[in-house]
Amino acid sequence: QPQSHAPQLRDFLLVYNRMTELCFRHCVCNLNYRLLTTREESCLDACAGRLVRANHRLMGSYVGLMPAIIQRRSTYYEDSTA
Amino acid sequence: MDPLRAQQLAAELEVDMMADMYNRMTQACHRKCVPPHYKDAELSKGECVCLDRCVAKYLEVHERMGKKLTELSLQDEELLKRVQQGTGTA
Repeated sequence: QPQSHAPQLRDFLLVYNRMTELCFRHCVCNLNYRLLTTREESCLDACAGRLVRANHRLMGSYVGLMPAIIQRRSTYYEDSTA
Repeated sequence: MDPLRAQQLAAELEVDMMADMYNRMTQACHRKCVPPHYKDAELSKGECVCLDRCVAKYLEVHERMGKKLTELSLQDEELLKRVQQGTGTA
């Protein structure tokens, strides 16, 4: 079971790292302190929420559009080889 | 798959991900703390302190993001369960 989930887990963890980098770059501007300021914290929470929801929406659109594209592609290859 | 192999894969994955995080952190902190003025090879004290704080903050952000992601994905699971139950009983 873990083996079948490994590539998905890897992708998930990569997304996690990318999210961290993106939100850090955008939200953390005050390097006068070692701790996060309240403004930075609320920015980070918002950033995380947005990214996750954007990702879901994207996935939904992709899943909606891909079958048609795959179908077109397969009919194209069938026609060209026939 | 045998559990030892699974454990080994998980450990490798963790190491890879830590390395990836480290590289991103290096890049981000360099951008934030070291201005591209290459007159002098030495780092100023301000730049050094900035780098220290940057690392501390980046790691905290990493932790915070992890918690937020788990929280959000749990919410999604709940929602998905409710949707499935709803369509099941409908």
